[in-house]
Amino acid sequence: MRRLPFEYSVRNLGRSPLRLSLAFAGALLVAALATAAAALLLGMDRALSASALHANAIVLGSGSEESLERSEIQPAVASILAASVPGIPAIAGTALVSPEAVMALPVEIGDDPEPRRALVRGVEPAALLLHPGVRVVEGRFPERGASDLAGEAMVGLRAERQLALPPGSLSLGTRVRIEGSEFVVVGRFEAPGSVMEPEIWAPLSDVLAAAKRTTISCVVVALDPEGGAALQDLAAFAARRLDLEIAVLSEEEYFASLRRFFAPLRWMIVVAAALVAIGAVLGGLNTLHAAFASRSREVGTLQALGYGRGAVLLSFAQESLLLTAAASIAAVLLCRALLDGVGIAFSMGTFAFRVDATAVAAGLAAGLALALLGALVSALASLRRTIPEALRAP
Amino acid sequence: MPLVEARGLTRTYRKGEQEIRPLDGLDLDIDAGRFVALMGPSGSGKSTLLNLLAGIDRPTAGSLVVDGVDLAALSRRELAEWRSRKVSIVFQLYNLVPVLTAYENVELPLLLHDLPRRERHARVVRALERAHIAHRHDHMPRQLSGGEEQRVAIARAIVTEPALLLADEPTGDLDRSSAESILDLLSSLHRDEGRTIVMVTHDPRAAERAQATLHLEKGRVAETIARTGAKESSRAPANTEAHA
Repeated sequence: MRRLPFEYSVRNLGRSPLRLSLAFAGALLVAALATAAAALLLGMDRALSASALHANAIVLGSGSEESLERSEIQPAVASILAASVPGIPAIAGTALVSPEAVMALPVEIGDDPEPRRALVRGVEPAALLLHPGVRVVEGRFPERGASDLAGEAMVGLRAERQLALPPGSLSLGTRVRIEGSEFVVVGRFEAPGSVMEPEIWAPLSDVLAAAKRTTISCVVVALDPEGGAALQDLAAFAARRLDLEIAVLSEEEYFASLRRFFAPLRWMIVVAAALVAIGAVLGGLNTLHAAFASRSREVGTLQALGYGRGAVLLSFAQESLLLTAAASIAAVLLCRALLDGVGIAFSMGTFAFRVDATAVAAGLAAGLALALLGALVSALASLRRTIPEALRAP
Repeated sequence: MPLVEARGLTRTYRKGEQEIRPLDGLDLDIDAGRFVALMGPSGSGKSTLLNLLAGIDRPTAGSLVVDGVDLAALSRRELAEWRSRKVSIVFQLYNLVPVLTAYENVELPLLLHDLPRRERHARVVRALERAHIAHRHDHMPRQLSGGEEQRVAIARAIVTEPALLLADEPTGDLDRSSAESILDLLSSLHRDEGRTIVMVTHDPRAAERAQATLHLEKGRVAETIARTGAKESSRAPANTEAHA
């Protein structure tokens, strides 16, 4: 098949700046939506997978329906568990039991009086042992009662992004006010891919005091795969001690339940993105169709010269691909710059948009699909006319 | 053997319930090297005949042989290939590709042929020079006047050395002076290079440039006017087979 010159496709793009802009915007929107939706779904998956540890159990309030946000248990449950359930692993005499209070609280950063809603986790030092993915990369773990004037806190590396703060806003020494109580950032931690990386961690008692709360959210307990404490032991303990009003899940089960909980949200994301994308696709198709339809006489002329329908179709596809490729690349670059790492908070942590290779591929694939669909629909509509009909077109 | 040989050439269309028959059993021979004008009222079948000769439409019945090839027997792809080698059309509205320069427009049909770049260039330059438009080779169509655009279109039409050059009202969109110069160019292509030209026109003065004028009515040749010189002509009555 003899092809039309490539320059023909390239120069055709500049024929109508308005149409070019509209088609570019439509393709950009489609690719950006696909990238963003894929990035969010991937972020959810990764966060919920990376945060779960096979060797941990999580103890929640029995009426919480597996929701950390609703869960309230007495702080004493942690020590009761450590003392009562045999076989809980220990390091240097410290049982691997981590009482934690997780709350979304208003936090003021530095001199900015505007409160921002941040996920704050009250923890004890054992938390680092129960969450091995968390690693202090700068400064140190916050200590309780280090100063009468201010508590101490450490922040996840993604907290600044989560709180829409410029880089360096939560550096060591920064003062933050949690519910009016002063804290100083003494450490920064990473927890790659987990829901915890955008959080602020502070000593459990300081967080409870700041939040004026007397109950904690959960106790994370290490299980012993080598014959020590098993999930069944904890479950049996919870069944015996009804007065404590606790329920036991493995961390895997907990995050699996979260995944089930968020399944409708995932569908909503997909459906919402698809609906908007369909609108954008139709808009883009309409623009492409109008652009190609206005060239009916030209298409007829090319065919009269001896160019086949395939050559015209290929030329339309090239033109459409050039446009949508540019728009798709712009879309994934924009998503990468604006969305990557941006989190959406929920009770147990944050889902961060992950604009990785898969999300980029989704965006580019959406752009490619639009290009081919646009070219095919428009070209077939144009080529349906006979050559004499096309030559008579205005 | 004539270059064009049409027998019982019929073309019908359906428009709703109605059947339209712009060509109704037309018989026609056109010898190679002739310059023939087609005239007739609207709906007489001029444009339909031109489309069939150009291989961009197919007859409903009858046969059409051009340069020894029965066009009705060719597939869509073969017909496209045939068009690229054997026939060229000059359109009333020039139909240049607006995003290509004059040079590129003329080069466009040659890209369908296996030609070395140098040979292609030489042929494009020759065609542009022949059409007296080489000095505007790097201009876009929007930068050219109507007459200049039509010269580029004629250069595009002759660059492939077609057996048959068709012109559909080539002066219909031009002022008198530009029209005369385009007719001069077509006449010289016929006179100096022996090209076979079939031109549809409504303009009797344009038709006078041709060696013969076929008057079409109701899908048939109603009258043939043959000219041996500018002023001299002979008329043949309506018949079933026109020879030009």
